[in-house]
Amino acid sequence: MKKLTLRNIMLCLALSFFASSAMADKTTLLDQTHAAKGLKCASCHGNAEQREAVTMTKCIKCHNTEKLAKKTKDVKPTNPHENRHFGTETDCAKCHNVHQKSENYCGSCHLRFDFVVP
Amino acid sequence: MSKNDSNKSNEIDQYTRNVLQNGLSRRSFLTRAAMGTGAVAFTGLTGSMATASTDDCVKTAKSSDGGATLEFMPKPKPISDRDIVSTQTFDVVVVGAGASGVPAALSAAENGAKVAVLQKQAIVVSQGNTGSGIDLANSDKAAVEAMVNRLMGDSAHRCHPELVREWAYNSGEAVSWVIDRAKKGGAQIVDQGTKVQHGIHGVTEHKLNFVTSYCGPKPYTTGDGMRALAKVAEKAGVKFFFNMPAQQLVQDDSGKVIGVIAQDRDGKYHKYMAKKGVILSSGDYQNNEAMCNFFIPDLKNFERKQMDRTGDGFSMAYWAGGVIEPIGHTKMLHDFDAGPASMCDMPFLAVNRKGERFVNETVAMSLMNNYLRDEENAGHYSQVFDANYMEQAANWPGKLYSPEQMKIYMPEDPSPKIGVYESQINTYSANTLEELAVKLECDPKTFVANVKRYNELCKTGKDDDFGKPSAKMLPVVKAPFYGIHRRMRISTLCSGMLVDKNHQALDADGNKIGGLFVIGNLGGGFYGGVDYPLTVFGLSLGRCYTFGYLAGKYVAKL
Repeated sequence: MKKLTLRNIMLCLALSFFASSAMADKTTLLDQTHAAKGLKCASCHGNAEQREAVTMTKCIKCHNTEKLAKKTKDVKPTNPHENRHFGTETDCAKCHNVHQKSENYCGSCHLRFDFVVP
Repeated sequence: MSKNDSNKSNEIDQYTRNVLQNGLSRRSFLTRAAMGTGAVAFTGLTGSMATASTDDCVKTAKSSDGGATLEFMPKPKPISDRDIVSTQTFDVVVVGAGASGVPAALSAAENGAKVAVLQKQAIVVSQGNTGSGIDLANSDKAAVEAMVNRLMGDSAHRCHPELVREWAYNSGEAVSWVIDRAKKGGAQIVDQGTKVQHGIHGVTEHKLNFVTSYCGPKPYTTGDGMRALAKVAEKAGVKFFFNMPAQQLVQDDSGKVIGVIAQDRDGKYHKYMAKKGVILSSGDYQNNEAMCNFFIPDLKNFERKQMDRTGDGFSMAYWAGGVIEPIGHTKMLHDFDAGPASMCDMPFLAVNRKGERFVNETVAMSLMNNYLRDEENAGHYSQVFDANYMEQAANWPGKLYSPEQMKIYMPEDPSPKIGVYESQINTYSANTLEELAVKLECDPKTFVANVKRYNELCKTGKDDDFGKPSAKMLPVVKAPFYGIHRRMRISTLCSGMLVDKNHQALDADGNKIGGLFVIGNLGGGFYGGVDYPLTVFGLSLGRCYTFGYLAGKYVAKL
């Protein structure tokens, strides 16, 4: 819990600094992006004292996977949001981390899949 | 011990006897643990089981002869009825929608059953392109038996002959059926016949022909083909439940499997009752580290091609009393995508990741992983040849691609990449050996030194280093030089649960487990060697289609 508390403090700081500015910077972590849109920790982690782990079903309450796949259909070399492993339902967390830097999950097997993951 | 011998065939074959004695089941685990505390030994199936276990043995041994345990697969508490939010009843419930599950579901439906398919992912998932069967009407029986004999040899004579014959004598019909039905769903699938079966030469002098289904060309695969087949299955009344991973089997008091409990993405449990039977077709366990380390420690450093293959079906069948084949499962590692598939077994100079020659190159690609198990090589090697290859290798087994044709496999060449997986192609050409080494990610100095050494051996015609025949010693001397950087990664693992010839799971006493059937790569007994053999191209998918087709029909008629 200590870690989370620290994160909360960081978040509050981040909020107070950046709340009004656009979050286009690539180095911005997704927790800041979410906070900037007005989401609270509890929006994803729940209100209980023992914070809930966040499953993909939480993400898809706001992020429609099919719409997302359409939005990225022209991304080269391939659409990361529609693939032959999981269709449009790849677990978001395979690539997108919220409290740390995201990763290019596809690139470990697929040569030249050089995605920059927000 | 159960006295119910009525289910048991009178004579137990060698394969089944071996798995019963050495395989892993909950009973063998519990009994072996009890043995360690000094309890009296138990009487095995035949009453002849070794019983000399001591405390010491159990403390130190970690092998399948009494010490091996699957403690990483503890049986979970049954999900209680009050946690179930919905219950539906079918005749047949299929777990896993792939190359055996989808055919099984359709086959069961065509035979009158009401069928549900539970799939972990959001889509039908399958890999590969080719699925083969024997064209029985155009083959001599002596040839079919010669093929069976060869496949048993390929599997180090450790497979179940009865299951190999189930494939041999039913696969032509089953594969033709898959082609016909998948076409109705709009699949890009054709019968390539016998001409693509380069690996069967020398198997028999008698007439032997194949039905070779091909879903392609790439990037179209059997995954797309099975998705088309699933549409046909849906029309035939099969109900698919996606994002619905099975968690536990439901058993009645006698141990008969009567249903499956699955969990949706919101964490809620749903029960699917099966009046006739449950067919498990949920694939291998390559993404389950503990299972891999236990059954195939060789896999440690290889990359996985698939995702989410956590061996769920193994766990469920094992908890229900099933027997997992003993340690030393068969694996499948190859790379048909880096360069032409038809050149994969051509014995050009081969170097490892450092650039060293490491093997007699007549070793088939399907076995090459055994030389590359360490962390550094991790399955990588490169085939190297020079500008003379079209003339000098013209009579080698397989089919050569000309430099022009090979461009589709070259990421540096601007030509459009048609008929290949663009993110897996890995073939290069260069005007100097040093330049080629860099492209193949080898150390240039080591690479050049090894090519030089190889060229000297070629001159003498005697391979003092690895004993390759002189006719296969082609020097690498004339630019441009070519390299195909192949990556042996895990396509699948293909050993599994002990079943009888009708694909029904057996328990540790050799009795049938009522209502439980196992097919596809989760089914045991079909292989047995260290590696999946490439003698019959498409044997793996052919077996999946065939056993799906047969099991679906069999269970529907119960």
